[in-house]
Amino acid sequence: MAMRKRGASFRLVVDPVRCDGYGHCHELAPELVTLDEWGYPIITANAFPGNDRELMRSAQLAVRGCPRMALVIEKISAQ
Amino acid sequence: MIGFTTPYLWYSSRATGAVSLCLLTLVMVLGPLVSTRVGGRRIGRFAINELHRSLSMVAMLFVAIHVTATVIDTYVPIGILSAFVPFTSPYRRLPVAIGTVAIDLMIAVWLTSYFKEKLRPDLWRAIHWLSYGSFVAALAHGYLTGTDAHTRWYLILTVGCGAASMAAIVWRITARPERAGGRTALSPLDAPAPGRRKS
Repeated sequence: MAMRKRGASFRLVVDPVRCDGYGHCHELAPELVTLDEWGYPIITANAFPGNDRELMRSAQLAVRGCPRMALVIEKISAQ
Repeated sequence: MIGFTTPYLWYSSRATGAVSLCLLTLVMVLGPLVSTRVGGRRIGRFAINELHRSLSMVAMLFVAIHVTATVIDTYVPIGILSAFVPFTSPYRRLPVAIGTVAIDLMIAVWLTSYFKEKLRPDLWRAIHWLSYGSFVAALAHGYLTGTDAHTRWYLILTVGCGAASMAAIVWRITARPERAGGRTALSPLDAPAPGRRKS
């Protein structure tokens, strides 16, 4: 929690093996995921700040809504 | 709970049993629609998934009421044990056991979906297939032991629900999912670029 205040950032990561191009992630988090022409996700936001509640919420919805469980929210460790 | 019986409990049990069947059918039809990627234009694909999930919760609630009413009512000697352990009911042992199996499978599917993120996806998937068995058992339970089983409306319901779920299974097997369907209409990229109108 303390990390978040200091501005830890997060990103969505797709497991390309599990992903089967259902496209739910794009519908649920259009601001983070776009689709290529075959319907597979392209993560557009490389990182978003953990205190951005709306983006975090979108990301969580996308993770929860993925029928293939191919998405995770990854914390980017400070570099 | 000694000797507590009122016709209303039995009525509740029958009514919620029938409603459960309808709701479970809806859930069973929506599942294959998710996996065959229906939606994306008028309704989001995610929405079908959400509907599948939330309706399954409502269905489970009705099943819970169905079981509770039956267990509380001492008109038939079905105890709380028989709700979860098959073949323990002195009353109509086999058909009640089939209902019990349906419930047990349902609970397995529910719990594995609840803890989906913590499970290996293929394990979740394997257990999720059990929902077909659960549905068939529930349908058979209603037909074999339902007080209303031989009334015309319940027969129509049984046949209708059976047919709908069969159709969903056939659809699931034969439908060619829109695999590389590409962008859905909900996609901002799919919208015609501003200023580029069809002439």
